Amino acid sequence: MSRTVMIVDDSLFMRKIMRGILAEKGYVVTAEAASALETMRNLHSSHPDIIFLDIILPDSNGLDLLESVITACPDTKVVVCSSLGEGQVVQKALDLGACAYIQKPFTPEKVAEVLESIGG
Amino acid sequence: MDMSPYRDLFISEARNHLSAFNELIVHLEETPDDPAAVNELFRHAHSMKGMASTMGYDQVVGISHVMESQLSRIRSGEFRMGPAFADLLLESSDTLGRLVSKIEAGIDSDEDTTGLVERLTAYDPNAAVTPVSPSTPPDRRADSRTDASAATSHEFRQADTFKSIRIKTETLDHLVNITGELITNRYRLAEAVRIADASECREPLHQLTALLRSLRDEVFKARMLPFSFIAERFPRLVRDLARKQEKDVSLLLEGKEIELDRGILEEIADPIIHILRNAVDHGLESPEERVLAGKSAFSTITITVNRDKDHVEIIIADDGRGMDPERLTQKAIEKRLITAEQAGRMSAQEAYQLICAPGFSTAATVTDISGRGVGMDAVRTAISSLSGVLTIQSKKGEGSRFIMRLPITVSIINALIVRCGTIEVAFPLSVVKRSLELRPAEIFEESGQRMVMSEDSATPLRSLQQALQLPEPAIGADALLPAVVCDVAGTAVAFSVDRILGQQEIFVRPLRSPLSFLRGVGGATVTGDGRVLFVVDVSTLSA
Repeated sequence: MSRTVMIVDDSLFMRKIMRGILAEKGYVVTAEAASALETMRNLHSSHPDIIFLDIILPDSNGLDLLESVITACPDTKVVVCSSLGEGQVVQKALDLGACAYIQKPFTPEKVAEVLESIGG
Repeated sequence: MDMSPYRDLFISEARNHLSAFNELIVHLEETPDDPAAVNELFRHAHSMKGMASTMGYDQVVGISHVMESQLSRIRSGEFRMGPAFADLLLESSDTLGRLVSKIEAGIDSDEDTTGLVERLTAYDPNAAVTPVSPSTPPDRRADSRTDASAATSHEFRQADTFKSIRIKTETLDHLVNITGELITNRYRLAEAVRIADASECREPLHQLTALLRSLRDEVFKARMLPFSFIAERFPRLVRDLARKQEKDVSLLLEGKEIELDRGILEEIADPIIHILRNAVDHGLESPEERVLAGKSAFSTITITVNRDKDHVEIIIADDGRGMDPERLTQKAIEKRLITAEQAGRMSAQEAYQLICAPGFSTAATVTDISGRGVGMDAVRTAISSLSGVLTIQSKKGEGSRFIMRLPITVSIINALIVRCGTIEVAFPLSVVKRSLELRPAEIFEESGQRMVMSEDSATPLRSLQQALQLPEPAIGADALLPAVVCDVAGTAVAFSVDRILGQQEIFVRPLRSPLSFLRGVGGATVTGDGRVLFVVDVSTLSA
């Protein structure tokens, strides 16, 4: 069972919420990143089983980052985090190899549902 | 899910987004073809929406969602940012600000935001803005990755997120107080060591001095904030004022990364805003007037911040009509602030200072922007109370410059200690221009005022004893008279004292009632041997 998670979001607020939900579900957040640069820097040292990846970041569009992450760690499951009205980008992300997507606002139920769907 | 633990974080993060909104919107209005800035603005709207939806703040979600959608149209090159859309975005940002404040205060919002959301949604660029010309290349998101400034701001965010913690400002104030008391105590200890001639204490005392200096520096560093902390709202303010006055004004900020003590920053924000208001309202001409005068229709106000050792200089310069010294003195005579004779003796530099006199205003009409001439008086007082100096320069037809010279910290300062009658007082070194030793023959009279020459210009000489209402000692006919030349609101004034004792670092404590009513005294400190020493406030001393 996949238990280690990395959270990528430029908002500290969103990371804290996600961390709180995941902790309740018994997951270990091994890394957080606020940018594409940080994500790539922390990816190998933290060995996450799952990455929650926000699609909009200050230094990259999420799709480019997604490709880099999947290339670097093909076994890591990437869940794309999106907002209302981002259907097109989400579809592209899924085409590129994201396992699932989760739409903001995050709720414990939604997170549980997504984790279950990817066999986490 | 209980969201209350996340509320404070939401509020502080939302505030960051709001201040970025204002800065970016104003920037994009001036520079619409900056894809990196459009992206960044979009991202802030996106983050705001994501956070608010998580917290369940529907009104915030509604506004930021439409902002985001419209910005995505700009991003794809559908239309460009123009004044009308900037107005709408700024209005949205203001509304979001009010909503966030209500959330912070725990009040349910009674504001109806549907009208705003509708107007934002229905915004038709073709009705208000020039459409994008076919030659304008559509923005590509990937472009922003190569943008150097985006990378720097991102680096800052990173450090901000992981390498800093939040500390209550009272904790920092407390640390400054303790450090100040430690410095005072070190002086007392040094005095005791000297009297006891305890040579074995000298080395540890020396170490203690060095450590205290590092502690002081670190504590101050912790209280320092970049000038941008207050300056972020200035471009927006100038833009709104200029729109109201139908003037085209751009505000340039230079040196906004220079750091000042938080306490000083808080005190100077209002004075700067006042000077900016004055500049837009009175200082800058209308575009028509400017063109007639052979100038560009676009006006510029520049705020430059320079660091000079332990001082910071903030220069607010406009390229407006400048001030006419004759008109100023004429007005001051009419208002009975000065006599015609005094006016005749005034230099242009002195005449500019008249605008800081209480009750002085040359504006023909009182607008809702600058109000009456009470402001510059308050500006000068605020600067003086920080042991700072305000200098005004102007050139008719070319513009005016307001220069604030401020210490970077207020509570621990370098001071010149002097003996004055039976007491010792301290002059903040920031207001001292130089010290003099005068022979009685060097003192001359001009219209009943004692004067001395300082740096080739006649400078009024006043007795500090008299100014502080202390008994005047008899001076021997041949004795040298020490004097301290101070910068009093841009004018040099020499104060005669009994003896100049030397320079010392002092921890200034504010005075409480009834001592706070004393004229000419701005604070107090405790000396090494435990005596109380008053700190002179030259701005009220010479009044």
